[in-house]
Amino acid sequence: MAALCAATAIIAVVVPFAAGISLLGTVPMGLLVYRFRIRVLIAATVAGATIAFLIAGMGGFMTVINCAYIGLLIGLILRRGRGTFTVLGVGLVAGAVFGAAVVAALAILVRLRHLIFESMTANVDGIAAFMAGLPNWRWLPDMEASAERLRSGFATALNYWPYLLGGWSVIIITVVMLMGWWALSQVINRLVVIPDVHKLDSAPDTATIAPVPVRLTDVRFRYPESDHEALGPVTLSIEPGEHVAVTGPNGSGKTTLMLMLAGREPSSGTVDRPGSVGLGRLGGTAVILQHPESQVLGTRVADDVVWGLPPGTETDVHRLLTEVGLDGLAERDTGGLSGGELQRLAVAAALAREPSLLIADEVTSMVDQEGRDGLLAVLSGLTDHHQMSLVHITHYNDEADSADRAIDLTGGDGDSDNTEMVETTEAPAAKGVLKPRREAPVLELIDVNHEYGSGTPWATEALRDINFAVHEGDGVLIHGLNGSGKSTLAWIMAGLAEPTSGSCLLDGVPASDQVGAVAISFQAARLQLLRSRVDLEVASAAGFSPRDRARVIKALAAVGLDATLADRRIDQLSGGQMRRVVLAGLLARSPRALILDEPLAGLDGASARGLLRLLENLRRNEGLTVIVISHDFTGLEDLCPRILHLQDGVLATAPTAAGGMA
Amino acid sequence: MTAPTRKQQRRQVVLLRPVPGRTVIHDLWAGTKLIVVAAIGVLLTFYPGWVPIGAVAALVLATMRLARIPRGVLPSIPRWLWFLLALGGVTAALSGGSPVIELFGLDLGLGGLLKFLRITALSIVLLALGGMVSWTTNVAEVAPAVAKLGRPLRRLRIPVDEWAVTLALALRAFPMLIDEFRTLYAARSLRPRSVLTTRRARRRRWALEAVDLIAAAVIVALRRADEMGDAITARGGAGQISAAPSGPKRLDWVALSVVALVCGAALALELTLLGTT
Repeated sequence: MAALCAATAIIAVVVPFAAGISLLGTVPMGLLVYRFRIRVLIAATVAGATIAFLIAGMGGFMTVINCAYIGLLIGLILRRGRGTFTVLGVGLVAGAVFGAAVVAALAILVRLRHLIFESMTANVDGIAAFMAGLPNWRWLPDMEASAERLRSGFATALNYWPYLLGGWSVIIITVVMLMGWWALSQVINRLVVIPDVHKLDSAPDTATIAPVPVRLTDVRFRYPESDHEALGPVTLSIEPGEHVAVTGPNGSGKTTLMLMLAGREPSSGTVDRPGSVGLGRLGGTAVILQHPESQVLGTRVADDVVWGLPPGTETDVHRLLTEVGLDGLAERDTGGLSGGELQRLAVAAALAREPSLLIADEVTSMVDQEGRDGLLAVLSGLTDHHQMSLVHITHYNDEADSADRAIDLTGGDGDSDNTEMVETTEAPAAKGVLKPRREAPVLELIDVNHEYGSGTPWATEALRDINFAVHEGDGVLIHGLNGSGKSTLAWIMAGLAEPTSGSCLLDGVPASDQVGAVAISFQAARLQLLRSRVDLEVASAAGFSPRDRARVIKALAAVGLDATLADRRIDQLSGGQMRRVVLAGLLARSPRALILDEPLAGLDGASARGLLRLLENLRRNEGLTVIVISHDFTGLEDLCPRILHLQDGVLATAPTAAGGMA
Repeated sequence: MTAPTRKQQRRQVVLLRPVPGRTVIHDLWAGTKLIVVAAIGVLLTFYPGWVPIGAVAALVLATMRLARIPRGVLPSIPRWLWFLLALGGVTAALSGGSPVIELFGLDLGLGGLLKFLRITALSIVLLALGGMVSWTTNVAEVAPAVAKLGRPLRRLRIPVDEWAVTLALALRAFPMLIDEFRTLYAARSLRPRSVLTTRRARRRRWALEAVDLIAAAVIVALRRADEMGDAITARGGAGQISAAPSGPKRLDWVALSVVALVCGAALALELTLLGTT
């Protein structure tokens, strides 16, 4: 139910954009009807239409309504599995109905109709008058006669406006339906392989809520359609008021253990607790998840704290925000918060439910060092101030230290290469900034300034007076915290954005004139994989024919991927594999430089090290110029001997203190 | 919403963010603004005469003054739009028609031009009206206002609260998805263009690319939805969406009366003395 609600909301955002690009707003709408019920479509239509209205006024509103109308029909047709003829038939009828509605509306709005028609007539008459006024040269046809024909023809057409409009809408709706139907069936084909990543499920609670003390005895868990156990056997207990850390590498079953504690039934073994789990209920279990952005559901900080509480619950928002160190931010938009602040806000929202058990599942893995410290400080104080047990799941070994007790999940059936923990490293001082070189640089940034929304009331400065050069074969790390402007800098270097002032030169020519010459790998690898299959993707990104099997395999081999992967669907790849496929496509074009935005985010220890080794080899042996953008340092020393610190849009010239923030 | 867009000489479009500042207009309840916009929209579609258009334009200008909206909020208008407007104006002016005025011994028929100007003014006023809402309203206030305004519909078993929750989530997800779409678009512009000679091949390629883009957008959206769904479940499902209670205050009643008065007067004039034929 919750996931459904979220899906509806998010699809509603997609619609105005899809409608903008190519009449394809019907596709997401049709998808909703195809998968769910009509009620869902209506909710999505309300949300989408309101957003479109706020962006583009009445026109946007009507577009979304239209998309919903057509989407409803194609979704229903696809669900029933009917073919082209049904689409044609339904399209004709639907077009007629729509046409009738438009005609009826114009028939009622007499004055508006007259105004529109008279204005059009004036334009046509004006053109006719212009034609008639042309001198009667011999090589021109008889202008006066054609002017007269134009005038009378238009007048006749206007006379029959209901039929013209009705016929027009029949044609348009049928064509749009055919297009939408085709596109939707293509999209549905792609979605078949998407794994269901939604994990939590709330069971209806009948018993009294009392999640702790909980005792797990020989608990094992196996996902449906999986051939190995994701967890177990595990025997452990969580006592009231205890702070327990759970550690282990990716794949050791940490997240599955969270699911067990949050109320999912194990495949075998027993879970004993005095009452029910009460997920999200007052006095029950609260869970904080990995991704900071999708954790936070309210648009304003104060709204997020109370989001989802039963109507009528009184909450002391101020006290909760003070406890997590966000006092004074109640009125702020959640969109402007950093990852660490978002996660602390999620803690506040969890505390609003006065939980007996709080589970934090890898909450620091997407947060920069400063945010991590703040978040850990908040978490470690919780069990002292509240009647609660805290289970902190992490793959950082130093985070387990503040707990009363640590449980290590290593030693299940995970392969030995996967069992190492990620170490966190202190920031090394900036070095190599001022070393002059003689040969011409690959990339040169001269007095680069960048401002968003220049000339509007929303103007914000992102970068100021950036000067540096990158030479052939360099490895540069651009380090900065959230909001320091490092992503903007990456976009400018890749030529995707033009600096507001100053210039970014690639081999002496503005980078924005040579988009594609510098390769950039975005943090969200999935967004960069536009084709459905690995071979098509690599070929499309690199610009050769997908039938050129040898080159595809060579490109995959260059990033250490097996040739058998070429036929795999994109959405069946793991996070690390996706990143490598992106690199395969980028490197096959022999880019002048490679920019990587947070290349290690979300990868576990082994995958991260594998990727780093690959990049180091490329830089050393092929002379590839590598620029890494990151808020982390771990393991990057060999790949990027040169480090630039970016802080609030300015390059720190002097070496900054360890950690680079303070 | 921090990812840059590609190459922009023009003013960037900033979506769904109010103009900074706290003014009387910013303080109005979002529901009031929605009611006003809806009422004026209905008035103008039924009576698009000069008097109502003028009255609403005056209202909009006065509100802009009160809300201290700088000229910078307006998106820059592309040249082709100016060209189209000029072309429409010239052709309409050539058609002549009553009223005719005499200028330096020439009879000028202004009928066509006036009609063209009226429909242009109507579109601009309607757009500005919508703009006023988004320039002065924090998006966080929209969903609670919709929930409150829709309360009477609840008796008809219409799930207004469900809609409000969906709308609130959609508005929350909006900036995140914009960022993701921008990245998607950038990823596409990084790729080499395939050289296709025949028009058929080009059309085919275009269609397949559109499907690829939509599929990628939908997949990204669904993944985001799954994560948010988990977050919602972790909070025990939907419930409250706003910390502060919202509703009409005295200021809102004043604003509503002013708008009702102006629109009523304009309508009365339009129907009696100064009707536009």
